Amino acid sequence: MTNKTQIYKPISPEIEELARGHHYDREAALELLKDIEARHAGLSPATVIEAARALKLPAHQLYGMATFYSMLSLQERKKVLRVCDGPVCWLKRASGQSSVSSDQLIAEWAEMPGYTVERSSCLGLCDRAPAVLVEDEQAGPVSAQDANKVCEGWRGIPTDYSEERKGEVRVMTALMGRIDPDSIDDALEHGVYDGLKKALQTSPATVLETVESSGLQGRGGAGFPVGRKWKFVANEKRTPRYIICNADESEPLIFKDRVLIDTNPHQLLEGMTLAGFACGASEAWIYIRGEYEYQARRLENAIEQAKSKGFLGKNILGTDFSFNIHVHRGAGAYICGEETALIESLEGKRGEPRLRPPYPPTSGFRGQPTAVNNVESFCAVPHIVKNGADWWRGLTNNPAPGTKVYMVLGHVKSPGLFEAPFGLTLRQIIDDFGGGMLPGAQFHFALCGGAAGTIVNESLLDTPIDYSSSQKGISLGAGSFLICDQNVSPVAFLRELLHFFAAESCGKCTPCRVGTWRALEILNRMAEGKGVKGDTEELKTLAGLMQDSSFCGLGQSVPIPMRSVLTHFDAEFAKAEA
Amino acid sequence: MTVNITIDGQCIQTEAGKTILQVAKENGVHIPTLCYHKDLSPTGNCRMCVVEVKGGRFLQAACVTPIWEGMEIHTVSEKVMKDRKLTLEFMLANHPTDCLTCEVGGECELQDLAYDYRVEVPAWGAKGKRYPVDSDPNPFVRVDFNKCILCRRCESACAEIQVRDVWGVAKRGIHEQIVAGAGTTLLEARCESCGQCVAYCPTGALSNKINYGTARAHQIEKVTTTCAYCGVGCQFDLLVKNNKVIGVSSNPNAPVNGMALCVKGRYGYDYIHHPDRLTKPKVRRYLLEGGKKELKGSAWDWVETEWDTALDVVAKKFQETRDSFGADMLGFLTSAKCLNEENYLMNKLARQVIGTNNIDHCARL
Repeated sequence: MTNKTQIYKPISPEIEELARGHHYDREAALELLKDIEARHAGLSPATVIEAARALKLPAHQLYGMATFYSMLSLQERKKVLRVCDGPVCWLKRASGQSSVSSDQLIAEWAEMPGYTVERSSCLGLCDRAPAVLVEDEQAGPVSAQDANKVCEGWRGIPTDYSEERKGEVRVMTALMGRIDPDSIDDALEHGVYDGLKKALQTSPATVLETVESSGLQGRGGAGFPVGRKWKFVANEKRTPRYIICNADESEPLIFKDRVLIDTNPHQLLEGMTLAGFACGASEAWIYIRGEYEYQARRLENAIEQAKSKGFLGKNILGTDFSFNIHVHRGAGAYICGEETALIESLEGKRGEPRLRPPYPPTSGFRGQPTAVNNVESFCAVPHIVKNGADWWRGLTNNPAPGTKVYMVLGHVKSPGLFEAPFGLTLRQIIDDFGGGMLPGAQFHFALCGGAAGTIVNESLLDTPIDYSSSQKGISLGAGSFLICDQNVSPVAFLRELLHFFAAESCGKCTPCRVGTWRALEILNRMAEGKGVKGDTEELKTLAGLMQDSSFCGLGQSVPIPMRSVLTHFDAEFAKAEA
Repeated sequence: MTVNITIDGQCIQTEAGKTILQVAKENGVHIPTLCYHKDLSPTGNCRMCVVEVKGGRFLQAACVTPIWEGMEIHTVSEKVMKDRKLTLEFMLANHPTDCLTCEVGGECELQDLAYDYRVEVPAWGAKGKRYPVDSDPNPFVRVDFNKCILCRRCESACAEIQVRDVWGVAKRGIHEQIVAGAGTTLLEARCESCGQCVAYCPTGALSNKINYGTARAHQIEKVTTTCAYCGVGCQFDLLVKNNKVIGVSSNPNAPVNGMALCVKGRYGYDYIHHPDRLTKPKVRRYLLEGGKKELKGSAWDWVETEWDTALDVVAKKFQETRDSFGADMLGFLTSAKCLNEENYLMNKLARQVIGTNNIDHCARL
C-alpha cells in the first residue's frame, strides 16, 4: 500500500496575490484562470491545482473549466491568433468549392512566427468574414494570404452602419455611427437616459406595465414576453433579485449585439437600469463572450462614465434607487448563451445547463430571482419607456410589435445589419435590404434565424417572418439570414453547421454529445461524395432523437436546420448517398 | 396538496412535489434509469428515463420532471422506446465489446438495459480503446474509462456521500471525460480510496482492483454482516465464493451507512484468510512453564494454547501486579471494534474486579 505523503506547501505567492485580487471569490474562478494564463502563457495542472487551493475549490472544478472553455488552454501558447471556423467564414473562404471543409481552410493558416494559431467555432464577426482574432483584437475580412499583414498589425476595416438602408425603421440603431460611443456627453445630447429620467419619476409598477403592454418579445430568439418575465421576477418575495444581460452572442450568423454595444453602449446600460428599477434589483451583470474583449472594455468605460454622471451607482439621479452593473467575460463557449448555462458560468463553473424548472425568474444567479435578457431586448426598453407602449406598437402593422435588428449575410450585394419591423419576407430581405443577389448568383437556399435556424429553399421566399412563422417552416430566431447561391452544396453547408455544434456541445447529455458527433461523421463522408445508402435516413433518426431527448435548447435545436434541409433538399442528399 | 395524473392510462392520486419517476415507482411502473440513483442528486444527464408527457414538445426525463395536475404520462410509447434504444446505442457506440471478460458482466446496468432493449453495439461505433486500461495506480480502484458512459454518478458519489470532490468532468462534447482532480492520479487528487465511486458506477468503468477477475456475480453468495473495524456499525455484504471471502460490496439496505463504506470496511478484508492471522491465543513458553522471564532462547517463543490457559496466565499476572504494586498500576484500553456490551464488561473488570479507574477507549486516543 503506497500512499504518497501529501506534504503541505504554501500556495505560490504569485497565485495567492492574483486570488487576493479577486477577494478569493469563488465566482471569480474563471477570471483567476485567465489571469494565470496571461502571466504564464498557458495553464498547467500544477497552476490549476494552486488556483483551486487558493479559492478553496476542488481541483476538478477548475480543471473542468480550464478544459471546457475554448479560450483557456493547458498548452503553452505564444500570442494567440484565433481563426474563425464558423459557417459564414467558411462560405467566404470556400466560395465556389464547397467540398472543402473549414478544417482544411484553417490548416492554411500555418503556424506563424510568434503566434499560436487556433480555430475558434465562431468569432461573432460575421459581417467581417472571413475573420480572425489577434489576441484581443478583431480583424477582418482577412484571408490566409494576408497572414503577414495581420502580423504587422493590419486589422481590416470595421463595417460602417451609419448609412440607413431604404425602408429601415431605426429605433435601437438610430444613433448607430452617429455618436461617439465612448462619450456619454454625446449620448446625453442625443437623448440617451431620457427614458430612465422619465421612469424614475414614476414607479416600478408603471415601468413594468409599460413594458408588458408594449408586447416586447425577447430578442434572443425565443420571443418570450419581456414584461411577463420581469413580472415573475418582481413578484418573487425573495431578495436580492438580479438582472443579467446575455451578451454571449456565440451563434454563427449573429453579430447584432456586438454592433449594438459598439455603437451605443449607454443604451444597453439604460435598458438594464430600467429593468433593475422595474424588478427591484440593484445588481446586474453583463455576461459578454470572451472574444468581445474590445466591447467589454467599451462597456466598462461606459459604466464608469454613467456612474460619474449619476446614472449608475448609489441613489441614481437623487432617488432611492441604486444600481450597479458588472461586466463578466466568458471564455469561449456557445452553450453559455443558454441562460442557465450562462448563470453556471457566471458562478464560476463549467457552463453546463441546469435543470429547468426552476427557471431563472424563480431561482437563477446564486439561487435568487433573476431576469436574463438579450442585449437587444434591453436596448429596446429605453425607447418604449420614453415614447410609450402605444408608440412601440404603432411602429408596425405586424402582430409582433416594434422593430427588430436583422442581419443579412452571404451572396447578397450589401450584407450587413439593419432594423425594420417584423413580418419581412426573405425576398424583401434579399432584394430590398440586401441589395439583391450578387451578379451571377442565384438564390439556392437560406439559413434563417441563426445557426440553429431553418434552412429554406425558394418556396418560402414570400412567407412573412416573425416569431410564429417557424410553424410554417421559416424561423426568425435572432434575426439573421445567410443567403447561399447555386454553388453552395446544402450537404456541405449542413456539415459546417454540425461541425460547429459538435465542437460546442457541452457533453452533458447523451443524445447531443454523441448525436452531433455522429451526424458530423456522416456528413463529412457525404460531403466528400463518399456517402453510403441509408445515411439520410440515419440523419433523420439522429435529428429525431436529439430534438426529443436532449437536455437543453442546444441539442433540441440542432435538428432544426437538419430537418429543414433534409425536407427541402432531399434530392441533393440522396445524390450524396450514392 | 394532491394532484391527479395518469401513467400509461392508470389514474393516480398523489402528493404534489414528486417526480414522475417517484410516482411511477410507487405505482409499480418501471422506468429504466442509468444516471439516476436514489442516494444521489438527480442530474438528468443520460436521458434513459425519458417519457412522453401529453402536450409537451419534448420528451421529459422522469427522474427530474415534477408532476403537475392532469399530467398524462406515457412511459412505453413508440417514440419513447425508439429514443431509449437510440440513446443506449449512443452509449454503446464507444463502449468496448468485451462483456465476456468484463469484471462486472452479469451485474452491469448498461448490459441489462442493452438486453432489455435488444440493442447491439452499433457497427459505426467501437472505435477501439480511447483511454489506457487500468489507468490509475490507486491500489483499490481500477479505472477503465473506455467503459464510461459519463453518467457522472462517481462525481456525485464522491462529492455528496464522501464529500471528497475527487472526480470531476473535463473537456466537452464527444471528448468529455471523467477526471480525478486536475487530470492527476486519484491519490494525488486527495482520494481516500473509499470506493464509493466503484459502488455507484453502473458499468465496469470503475471496479475493484484487489479482487479483479475472481468471480462472476452469479458465482457469489452474499452474506450480510456488520463491519468489525469500528463502532459505527456499518453493514455490508461479504462476497463468498467457494467458502472464501473474496470481496465486500455495499448493501443498499444497510440501516446505518447505506452504500457508504470506508477504505477499511470495503477493502480491508484480506486478514480473514491471511496465513498470519491468529485464530488461537499464543503465550510465551516461559509463562506456561512457570519459569522466569527470559528474553532469549526457546523460552521466549510463542506457543499456541487454549483460551482457558491463556486467560489464566493473564489473570495471574494481573493479580500479581495488583497485589504487589496496587490497582492503579494497571490500566485498561478498550476498542471501538468491540460491542457496547463488551466495553461495558471491560469497564466492570477495571473498576470492580481490579479496582482502578484507569480505563480508556481507542476512540479517544
